[in-house]
Amino acid sequence: MSAMIEIKNVTKEFKVLNRREGLKGSLKDLFSRNYKIVRAVDQISMTVEQGEIVGYLGPNGAGKSTTIKMMTGVLEPTSGEILVGGNVPYRDRTKNAQEIGVVFGQRTQLWWALPLIESFKILKDIYRISDADYDEMLKLYQSLVDIEPLLHKPVRQMSLGQRTLSDILAAFLHNPKIVFLDEPTIGLDVSMKAKIRTLIHALNEKKHTTVILTTHDMGDVDALCRRIVIIDKGKMLYDNDVEHLKRFFGSYRTLKLRIAGDLSERAEAVAKLLPECTVSADDEWISVLVDEEKCKVMHVLTQLQQSFRIRDMQLEEISTEDVIKKIYEEGVK
Amino acid sequence: MNLKKYITLTRAGIIESLQFRLSTIIMVLGNMLYLIVAYYLWKAIYAAAGTDIVNGMTFSDTLIYLVLATALYNFMEMYAVWEIGRAIQSGKIVLDLLKPMEYRSYLFWSYSGSFVMNFIATFLPTFIAVCIVTKGAVPFGINLLFFAVSVIFSVIINYSIDFMVGTICLFTESIWGINIMKQMVVTLLSGATIPLAFFPEALRKAAYCLPFQSIYHAPLSILLQRNPQPADVLPVLGLQLFWCVVTVVLSKLFWKVSIRQITVNGG
Repeated sequence: MSAMIEIKNVTKEFKVLNRREGLKGSLKDLFSRNYKIVRAVDQISMTVEQGEIVGYLGPNGAGKSTTIKMMTGVLEPTSGEILVGGNVPYRDRTKNAQEIGVVFGQRTQLWWALPLIESFKILKDIYRISDADYDEMLKLYQSLVDIEPLLHKPVRQMSLGQRTLSDILAAFLHNPKIVFLDEPTIGLDVSMKAKIRTLIHALNEKKHTTVILTTHDMGDVDALCRRIVIIDKGKMLYDNDVEHLKRFFGSYRTLKLRIAGDLSERAEAVAKLLPECTVSADDEWISVLVDEEKCKVMHVLTQLQQSFRIRDMQLEEISTEDVIKKIYEEGVK
Repeated sequence: MNLKKYITLTRAGIIESLQFRLSTIIMVLGNMLYLIVAYYLWKAIYAAAGTDIVNGMTFSDTLIYLVLATALYNFMEMYAVWEIGRAIQSGKIVLDLLKPMEYRSYLFWSYSGSFVMNFIATFLPTFIAVCIVTKGAVPFGINLLFFAVSVIFSVIINYSIDFMVGTICLFTESIWGINIMKQMVVTLLSGATIPLAFFPEALRKAAYCLPFQSIYHAPLSILLQRNPQPADVLPVLGLQLFWCVVTVVLSKLFWKVSIRQITVNGG
């Protein structure tokens, strides 16, 4: 195992013009030198080993894409060090490009008017892939997904799902050491998401490609990542296993109840009865968030049964999504 | 086999432009329309002058010059400014920068396909038509070879100027105005719309000192020269080569500065 990506105390600042409002303000802005410094990424450090799939998470505007752009060499860090596969990305951008693959969920690197196979052939020449490697890769693709119908279809006629799938295949084509996937499942339906997850997983396994994945879909994280890194407002909040994350936040479980009578009234009564739990109600259920370290779910249930007539109940484990939501909202304590 | 990765882009460009048959046809039609307008315009100019020869050129000289200039323009115009500007505005430039080759060459070779196509679809037919219609106004001989060399220089100079203007878009974040200005300056001072011979003395002298005349005026003057002597042609080619070097170096410099603008400020 060797470190594929090493990031040390990386900071990225942007200079932004302070814009004023209205026509008058805009005219003044023409001559303004009133800049402010925005720190998009603040002192981030991490190391990624070969073959890892790392989920890189954070709310919109957290600095994820900026970090990815620094790792790919499109942006130069303001301070700090980045090494990707032994290269300093922004200095050796062309050399670095040979060793990485990139997919941006909202854009395509494929040739819009051409059938997919032509894009593959162009990439083959640009990345100087040998015939043998190219054939092997296509064979691998054929064993993983049904690409035959895609190969001869112009990219502009593809559905979003097909295009994303093609883009991922294109990014892996030259067998890069690292692939950056920036929101690859954005806007896709459930079955396509599943297909893409399986594909990424299989390619990572077969080729030991390191994958950095940014996403807002916790399904992606649960299906693919063992390790996650969370950033917000440019600062790193968390870097560890997904499992650890849940323990880190206490062992929460959600007890959902249906109680006879008016739900919101009952919810208030429940909240009074259980001061150590968080209680909320929607149209159907009263949800009680129980911290198992403070009190057991069974205990809560007995207590409730003594005071209310419970018609129905469900018990939910807390999902990664809930934990992350909590982190976005509150930060790590 | 380093060239292969460039040639593959040319190939892709050819296939790509073949996908859009209609636009090729419309381009040829638009081209003809322009030539008809030019024909009547210059006819009026010659009628008003009252002599057969204006500024040392006969009506048919002027017309042949203009027809060929238009054909050359259609095949050489790269719209690189648009392309760079659009790539920056849409953010597509990030993906282009991640190709394992320099952006300057990537863009050029991506274009080269439509070069080949436009050469075959517009320049060649126009050229042949001119030769047939004028029955020998275009001399055949060594000048064709010189012309070919000269056009290669023209393409490089034209692209480098386009590329430089394109990088300016990085700073202004708008394309339209800059591009229109560039087009006006280039088409006028290069002799693409009006032969340089018609310019007032001072302007003509100024035009000869600028790189633009090397784009259209130089290859066309070589092509239309009867019995060109190396002594006539070589200075022209030499000047073109000089501008080639200057503009290529300058465009590299421009890129170096503006790539920092992207990598430091995020474009």
